[in-house]
Amino acid sequence: MIRFENVSTTYPGQNRAALSNVNVDVEKGEFVFLVGASGSGKSTFLRLVIREARPNDGRVYVAGKEINRMASWKVPALRRKIGTVFQDFRLLPNKTVAENVAFALQVIGKPRSHIAAVVPETLELVGLEGKGDRMPDELSGGEQQRVAIARAFVNRPMILIADEPTGNLDPTTSVGIMKLLDRINRTGTTVVMATHDAGIVDQMRKRVIELSDGTVVRDQSRGVYGFQH
Amino acid sequence: MQLKYVFTETRIGLQRNVSMTIAVVVTIFISLTLVGMGLLLNAQADKTEKYWGSRLQITVYLCNDANIKKEHCTSGEADQAQKSAIEDVLKSHPEVDTYDFRTKDEAFAIFKRVYITDDKDSTISSVVTADDMQESYRVTLKNPRNYLEVESALKGMDGVEAVEDLRTVLQPIYNAITWMKWGAISIAAFLLMAAILQVGNTIRLAAFARRKEIGIMRLVGASTLYISLPFLLETLAAAAIAIVLSGATIGAVMQFVIRDRLRHNFQVTDWIGWADLGQALGAISVLGVVITLIPTLVMTRKYLKV
Repeated sequence: MIRFENVSTTYPGQNRAALSNVNVDVEKGEFVFLVGASGSGKSTFLRLVIREARPNDGRVYVAGKEINRMASWKVPALRRKIGTVFQDFRLLPNKTVAENVAFALQVIGKPRSHIAAVVPETLELVGLEGKGDRMPDELSGGEQQRVAIARAFVNRPMILIADEPTGNLDPTTSVGIMKLLDRINRTGTTVVMATHDAGIVDQMRKRVIELSDGTVVRDQSRGVYGFQH
Repeated sequence: MQLKYVFTETRIGLQRNVSMTIAVVVTIFISLTLVGMGLLLNAQADKTEKYWGSRLQITVYLCNDANIKKEHCTSGEADQAQKSAIEDVLKSHPEVDTYDFRTKDEAFAIFKRVYITDDKDSTISSVVTADDMQESYRVTLKNPRNYLEVESALKGMDGVEAVEDLRTVLQPIYNAITWMKWGAISIAAFLLMAAILQVGNTIRLAAFARRKEIGIMRLVGASTLYISLPFLLETLAAAAIAIVLSGATIGAVMQFVIRDRLRHNFQVTDWIGWADLGQALGAISVLGVVITLIPTLVMTRKYLKV
């Protein structure tokens, strides 16, 4: 589903490579944790998957297509197959919960009837039934992140990218979010999640890819956060 | 594509930046009006040139006793030999189409008709006689543009007091029209530049105000067209208002200044008509759209890149 072949990239004006010679293969339906210190290349990895950035070297394949050579007009179609969730939720403050979720479908031109059917369904899936008319600032952090996940998942993407989704949440709320991501993963969606949260990684026992200074130092199938030999 | 979002965003954008939108509209409006005026002045200059060009005659005034001190009039009244020499030149010159001779009596008749319109002036006619008039040749040219060749052939011949053409009278008018035309166009050029920059600034501000929406749209895979359409419509709406305003202004000038006043009071030329106005309106419409589209496309490419 996601394949990195000898991927290296350096941000303009920096000497140190953000990623250097990374080889990773993520299968369809996998749940992968991306761990490592700040600046280790986790976010760069995720940016390459959604083609927010392009590598200087090597190839990135997503859903069978080499995306670093993809024409820019094809990028929107790629992104429709990928849902994205961030630490800071990125909800639109002047829209209700339901409107925030619907927005993702409206702007890619889905018919109104489809939106009317699928938005309540998705809100229910993330545990926000009955809260569609609330404004984002009326919700708790955990609930806001659920809205963001609903928005990322409402178009039923093949891949869900999550960049520190629990970074702003307390441990109890984080567990709820992880259960939700796990449930989404069980529907067949590939999930790649960058995180600092050792407790969550240890508890979930999923595949762990550890980055350090832009290189993969560990790739373990049922791993934990800390290094284990 | 759901256009409701696009139109809502366009409306919100126009409202959010009311002062910017007004600034853009006014700048484009004034610059387009100046361009339109320049085009109309240009058309008027062409019309005037054509009108007078086809009527342009050269008048060769012959010497009489009054101007005996002039260089080529030392022998006084032009004699028959001098006249035949002049006629020989007129007959043989390739640029001369026709010519006719105007006697002193004919000149006096014209003088009376032009200058003596009522009894008060009649004292003039008791002082001025036909003998004070000058004989002249009225020369029609094959191509009025080549008047200088004929003039230079005749100037300096004995018995020729002066060679005149209407161009000396018309030249200041041509000059004034040309000055006004280029004045309007150069001021318009500066304002057009300002308009382009203003459109660019508006887009940048609007993109900044909507950066969150735009970020989400890009992430969920909205097409570039869909993302930039509200911006495009916003600036095109401003351009449309400006085009209508300047079209109305130019139309009003055409109706109230040229058709109602100048055309009746000064029948000295062919005045521009609705066809010329139509061309000017077409040109400013295209220009108005172009000067908003170009900065919008450049800025949306820069700020809304997927």
